[in-house]
Amino acid sequence: MRHWFRSYLLLLRWSAIRLRYLLSLVLVVQIFLSVGIVLGFAFLLPQIDSATARYLATGAPTLGLITIGMVMAPQLVATAKTEGTFTYHQTLPVPRTAVVVSEVTTWLVVGAPGLRLGLLVAVLRFDLTLRVSWLAVPAAVLVALAATTVGLAIAYAAAPPVTNMVTQLIVFIALMFSPINFPADRLPEWLQTVHQVLPFQHMAQVVRDSLTAGPEGVPAGPYAVLVAWCVLGFAATLHIMIRRA
Amino acid sequence: MLYLDNLTKVYRRGVRANDGISLAVAAGETLGLLGHNGAGKTTLLNQVVGLARPTGGTITLLGRDPVAEPAWARAVCSFQPQAHAPLTGVTVRQAIESIGRIRGGHRRAVRRRTTELLAALDIERWADQPGERLSGGVRRLTAFCMAVVEPGQLIMLDEPTNDVDPARRRLLWAQVRELAAAGHGVVLVTHNIAEAERVIDTVMILNHGRVTATGPPAALAPDRQLRLEVIGTAAPTVPAWALRTSRADGRLTITLAAENAQLAVAWAASMTSRFSLNPVGLEEFYLTLTANPETNPDATLVS
Repeated sequence: MRHWFRSYLLLLRWSAIRLRYLLSLVLVVQIFLSVGIVLGFAFLLPQIDSATARYLATGAPTLGLITIGMVMAPQLVATAKTEGTFTYHQTLPVPRTAVVVSEVTTWLVVGAPGLRLGLLVAVLRFDLTLRVSWLAVPAAVLVALAATTVGLAIAYAAAPPVTNMVTQLIVFIALMFSPINFPADRLPEWLQTVHQVLPFQHMAQVVRDSLTAGPEGVPAGPYAVLVAWCVLGFAATLHIMIRRA
Repeated sequence: MLYLDNLTKVYRRGVRANDGISLAVAAGETLGLLGHNGAGKTTLLNQVVGLARPTGGTITLLGRDPVAEPAWARAVCSFQPQAHAPLTGVTVRQAIESIGRIRGGHRRAVRRRTTELLAALDIERWADQPGERLSGGVRRLTAFCMAVVEPGQLIMLDEPTNDVDPARRRLLWAQVRELAAAGHGVVLVTHNIAEAERVIDTVMILNHGRVTATGPPAALAPDRQLRLEVIGTAAPTVPAWALRTSRADGRLTITLAAENAQLAVAWAASMTSRFSLNPVGLEEFYLTLTANPETNPDATLVS
């Protein structure tokens, strides 16, 4: 256990040094995305009532977390695979779980500042009053965790060009065809059914509920689905990490 | 220290990358793996360090089975993979120290050893430069340092001198010799045959996944053959003792058996004073063995 923890901390430090130059860039992209959704989507809609504002304000940070976990993290893994650094890390005498957990941790930390800033912009733009419950932090962590573990699983499993294409597809689906910035009942029925299984709708809901609804009456269903995606993503990631040619 | 017995690796598409390879590396010994591109050298290393799983045969490392205990194998084995180390955004010193710590070294010891290695390989002036600004050679040397900063009992180096300039290649070979002298087993994959000959205790030549020859370099350099080079004479008749003859750039090269040395010198001296007679090195031997790999893949010369 001591070896695991020591490895984990050293790998975290190693990631921090290597990705330092990227972090500021990620932050800028994330802020642009959040601000873009809050300000840009408002142009699309002639009138913004309080319900719409609630969706946009909480949808923006959710999409920020999805972008980091399911687009940026996998694309960086794809690059690492192309450059051979992925294999290099597999040769280090550290537990493979420590490698995966440290990678996930890095991306959780990366997502935090942009999340807060995006939310701040939304509150200012829509003159919104949030009812932040104690669930806000666990919900954000769970969303980031689900996005990152699934994103890494894709990048670990697929060839780098495939990963890059799939991540483009994910951002497209999340942005345009997922009930993140709008209520699910606007979608055709079959797509609503699909989104019962996919994580996007549930991610949006736990963030929205935790920031606006208060702790009472928060349904457990979305949390359960996201936990299931986390477990699936982590298991797949680890399986591929341990697998030998 | 390391024993392979009949190691065989067949990839899913049916490629036999390793075909019944047996070898032994003792503590303090340096084994040189030579072979053409795709001969199965990297596959062999990958199996020892747990990146690939053998199809058949056994690996024994320090009395244990690295296939069953890959995590343990990675701990006792330092590996410099052929691919570039992750250096983007990291300085040379940071990279070496970080990996030294991750490999289990203590902070102060790792720092001291890093400074020593940087000096020994004469790359101190790049110590605080980030990886993306380094030349290929310095990156390779950094990767070497990352592998040996906290060396395991077995050290495996996959083409450590690629892109490295001749002066620093010598410094690197000196480090390899020091590691072996300190009791580490070293497995070295290289194409730099002529230079590696000086650090290698045992050579193994792989050809399409099989062992073509193995033994000490001196014993392998083929049964005492010599190479006579004669410069700038008109085409003389090829003497009877010549085994092979070639002519290029006004230079006649003849390979001959060692016992005909006196005949050769007398013959050459009768024409010109511009000639040289040298023993055939490992590189020539390697070329003759692998020049026509398809015709005789079964030729085994085990000394």
